[in-house]
Amino acid sequence: MTDLVLDVVQQLLNGFLFGSSYALIGIGFTMIFGVMDKLNLAFAVTGLAGAYTGLLVFHLTGGPFVVVFLTAVVSAGLIGLVMELACFRWMPRDYPLASLMATMGMLFFIDEVFSHVTHGRPMAFPAPMGQVVMDVGPWLLRGDFGFMFLVSLAVMGALWALVYKTRLGLATRAVSQQPVAAQLCGIRLRRVNAAVFVITGMIGGVAGALIGSAVGNLSPLLSLPLTVKGLVTAVLGGLGSIPGAIVAGLLLGIVEYEALFFFGIGYRDMVTYLLLFAFLVFRPGGLFGQSRH
Amino acid sequence: MEFYLSLLTLFGFRILLGLSAYVVILTGQISLAQAGFYALGAYTAGAASSMWGWPIFPAILLGGLVGGLFGLLVGFPALRVRGLFLVIATLAFTEIVRMVFLNLKYTIRVGDRTIGPAAAEGFRGITYYFQNGWSSLQIVAFTWFFVLVVLLAFWLMDRSRAGAVLRAVGEDELAASSVGINLTAAKVAAMTAGGFVAGLAGALYAHYATYVSQEDFGVLLATFAIAYALIGGTGSVLGPIAGVLFFSLLIDGLRFLGDWRNLLFGVLIVAMMNLRPHGIIDVGLVRRVASLLRPGGRKAYAGD
Repeated sequence: MTDLVLDVVQQLLNGFLFGSSYALIGIGFTMIFGVMDKLNLAFAVTGLAGAYTGLLVFHLTGGPFVVVFLTAVVSAGLIGLVMELACFRWMPRDYPLASLMATMGMLFFIDEVFSHVTHGRPMAFPAPMGQVVMDVGPWLLRGDFGFMFLVSLAVMGALWALVYKTRLGLATRAVSQQPVAAQLCGIRLRRVNAAVFVITGMIGGVAGALIGSAVGNLSPLLSLPLTVKGLVTAVLGGLGSIPGAIVAGLLLGIVEYEALFFFGIGYRDMVTYLLLFAFLVFRPGGLFGQSRH
Repeated sequence: MEFYLSLLTLFGFRILLGLSAYVVILTGQISLAQAGFYALGAYTAGAASSMWGWPIFPAILLGGLVGGLFGLLVGFPALRVRGLFLVIATLAFTEIVRMVFLNLKYTIRVGDRTIGPAAAEGFRGITYYFQNGWSSLQIVAFTWFFVLVVLLAFWLMDRSRAGAVLRAVGEDELAASSVGINLTAAKVAAMTAGGFVAGLAGALYAHYATYVSQEDFGVLLATFAIAYALIGGTGSVLGPIAGVLFFSLLIDGLRFLGDWRNLLFGVLIVAMMNLRPHGIIDVGLVRRVASLLRPGGRKAYAGD
């Protein structure tokens, strides 16, 4: 095999594994859109805020990674609930722009809290796998990327069970198909919405902690890129489609790593956006979308 | 005095940017492409006046026209996507424009200076005002000339059939198309007008700042453009002005709070949207004021 093929496959592997975190963030955007028909721009920072809270606990107690991780997940769930209360609950239902703007305000606010508390400096995040690297044939498998992938897979499995095997999941699916009909069947819309915000918040917390440990630190500079990548993932997959978000997240990871290898950092994001633009023009519903919007 | 003059100039750019988002929002669409149009206007007009030796007026107009042309180009494919998909598509456009300027290198020597877009180092030397010895007052007057012309044009449009068409599309596309409104034409026209106004704003900004860089034209600027219109309200052309005043007073008025100011900023947006979800100057307020101003209007309103 030539070196080129080796490199391309190596980037494919890295991108595929790292893409699992994009998939998690995309799932969050897509689920909230599914039940509310509204975009929560503050979703990615919700996850980051959870990761920062985990980091705070780490600095206070020096606790093991499990504690940091769980703190991140639980606090992100709670922050998700705050989002629902502040930006969605009392907004007019048929005017999505008000919520869009309010979540934008939340994005600014949380981003500023990060900058304020950490003085804008990146903060080291504990890594459970250290610098472990495994050999897979001629390729290298980074331990933290592998860990990220396995945890993401577990989260997706749990989410699948939640959505398809529980009453709450049934209610969620009903609300995303027909909110009014669901309400007429006795489903409490507000409770389902709140539950979705808590669940997606927790997923965001997992993603935030995983990205923190894979990148090695958390910084306010992550907020906007993660928001944009989450949105791109959700749209590529078809807004509202969870399997779509998973496939699109992995695809986005691969495209990014290959673009980084072939064109360098200056053009990496451009390739992503061109892909997105092409998709929107030629396949506006996304990979798995029904064209209902 | 200088301080207030430059503040007034900055208000001008912001109001133009808000108006460019306003006209697109009237058709019920949210575009994050305004920052891209603004950047295109800034770079083109900057190149025209400082590199090609154009006089200032045609240079600014060229910036607007390039913005409008790209508005047209973005408007057409954007018709295939609606609502939130359009938000993402236009976001991609703004980022692509930014990255093109991050990599674009096109410089010439003028005398002993190098002028032009120098990739990541930005575009230096857009010094038309300085070279021609313009005072701050002249710069304010020149900027506000464009602001007032655009305001007047939008005000007239709002009171004409065209304004009614745009609002009808924004209210209910199905109803609008069933009374014979051409949705495609309305949306593309709004996008083109928005692109033109954002291009003008960028062109004026480039000459005021004398230096522009792609960093200034990111998602944040695009966000502010729609924030001016959404917070201010889309009930009247005065809405974006109210939005600009709201943000500018917050940014400069809360300075005594130091670092805490930025924290309060986001919270106030959230509070504002909960209190007035349709913006400060919404359609209801415009109707109420209009009926108060009509002779005997107060009674008519009370009888509603």
